[in-house]
Amino acid sequence: MSTPLLDVWEAASASPYNPTIGKGSQFTVGAILLLTALLLGGVFSLNLKLVNVPLLGVPASLAFGFGAVYMICAVGVYV
Amino acid sequence: MRSFPLLSSCVAALSSFASAELNHSQPLLSKQVLSGTFTPPQVFKNANLVRTTNLDKSYPRETINVIIENVDSKPQSEYYLPFESSLISNVGGFEAKDKKAPELGNFKVEVVEFDTESTTGFYLIHLPSPLAPKAQRTISITYSLLKSLSPVPAQISQADKQYLQYTFSAYTPSAYVTANQKTKLKFPNVDVPDYTTLPSELNAEKKTDPQRQGSTFTYGPYADIPAGASQPVTVRYESTKPVTHATLLERDIEISHWGGNLATEERYWLTNLGASLKTHFSRVEWQKSQYMNPPTTALKQINIPLAPGVLSPYFVDDIGNVSTSRFRPGARESTLELKPRYPIFGAWNYNFKIGWDAPLSTYLRKISGDSYILKVPFLEGPRMPEGVQYSRVNLRVILPEGATNVKFSTTVPLIDQSTTLHRTFMDTIGRTSLTLSAINLIDDFRDRDLIVTYDYPWTAGFRKPMVITLGMFALLAVVYVVGSVDTSIGKKKNA
Repeated sequence: MSTPLLDVWEAASASPYNPTIGKGSQFTVGAILLLTALLLGGVFSLNLKLVNVPLLGVPASLAFGFGAVYMICAVGVYV
Repeated sequence: MRSFPLLSSCVAALSSFASAELNHSQPLLSKQVLSGTFTPPQVFKNANLVRTTNLDKSYPRETINVIIENVDSKPQSEYYLPFESSLISNVGGFEAKDKKAPELGNFKVEVVEFDTESTTGFYLIHLPSPLAPKAQRTISITYSLLKSLSPVPAQISQADKQYLQYTFSAYTPSAYVTANQKTKLKFPNVDVPDYTTLPSELNAEKKTDPQRQGSTFTYGPYADIPAGASQPVTVRYESTKPVTHATLLERDIEISHWGGNLATEERYWLTNLGASLKTHFSRVEWQKSQYMNPPTTALKQINIPLAPGVLSPYFVDDIGNVSTSRFRPGARESTLELKPRYPIFGAWNYNFKIGWDAPLSTYLRKISGDSYILKVPFLEGPRMPEGVQYSRVNLRVILPEGATNVKFSTTVPLIDQSTTLHRTFMDTIGRTSLTLSAINLIDDFRDRDLIVTYDYPWTAGFRKPMVITLGMFALLAVVYVVGSVDTSIGKKKNA
């Protein structure tokens, strides 16, 4: 029996969803990003200057944000 | 003189014992089920009707193949099938289709109740195209009757055989005149100690009723049965198998775009509706019999087939992890073999929770732009020869945070649907969740799919990392501000 949505499903057979970072590399990517964040955060904390807030703080925050998401996924809590 | 009442009570007790085999709470009386204010218009006639009742599993499955004929002067498309009110709440998986053109799919079916005082409810089948006057159409109606088998005797010993009793009408309930009909009963084996014998005068061929052929009984044929006629009969047959019944199954399917994962969790409230134990449970007797592995009324193992590629399954009950389980991954099918903490005998309950992960690419496809389509089984769960019946299934599909425009399609008959927000780890606004409820399902619905489409803009996808990023940035900014505060004692050097 065919329904409209089943036809849509069949039509989309060529484009299965794959995440940018596969399950196998989530831990590596997460760990690298978190270490980068730690490193940049550490450097920032040793040089507390206003210019370092965007220069080091922004990349550190971004690395921490994405690193945390991947690390949480890697340990089994799929957010 | 004093012994007379004693003697009479003994005789009464013995006579009740002798008649305990067919335990009727109500006498088997012919009756008219089409009572009440509403009677379906007599626009159809059942030219020929064959009902097959399959008692192989732990619930009866009925298939009615009927040739319907329009006897009205106008085209008609609404066919009614009556059920008694007590029975209609136990009817599950009701489906009707064209026997000769199954590719047309299932007809639209709805439960109708015109008169709340009436003891009769109806299933209304909408034929896809009206049937012209004098034209005929063969329709095939299938349904299961849950909780309709009762163990007789209701209490047995641990190693005893179990007998189930089923009461039904030899005349298929119909809102129309039936010219010719018969009912076939398929038992799981030939051990049928009790069954109602109907007078041969009722039979169109004046033969003994029922006709017995191995494990198949045939009631009928009966000619020209008026609408709503009922002729109750009872059969009692051996079925030493658990009557597995899930009073509630909660099933959560959670999608993670970041993790590329489809997480499933199922929470079962199982009960065995079979005969309860006459005495207390003997672990020694049970363990001794396990070497021989005889048929038993206890549910001792649950096999759950899962899709290939399934990872990290778990089996937890109220106490904690249940280690007596086995997971067998396979290329074509993975199997989760669960052994409950104790064998589940009649009237015993067991609540547990299982879950597993699966790669999302098998279930999710991208349609275009930001739209996605998800195809998941509506029901998974045990696959066992005796079958499982579900009183209620609540399925929740938890979509990613920010998913909108949710649409779905399924062939499973639903009673309720809603789209709400589900708040859990790392959420800011909560995840869109689609909740679907169905009642009276059976394990035959395992292969039914649920297809969901939704829009998930890439900006919504970045919500989670961005929230964490902003949090971290705020922390660093606070560190900078706090670190810049001069907390030294004494005069400032540059002053």
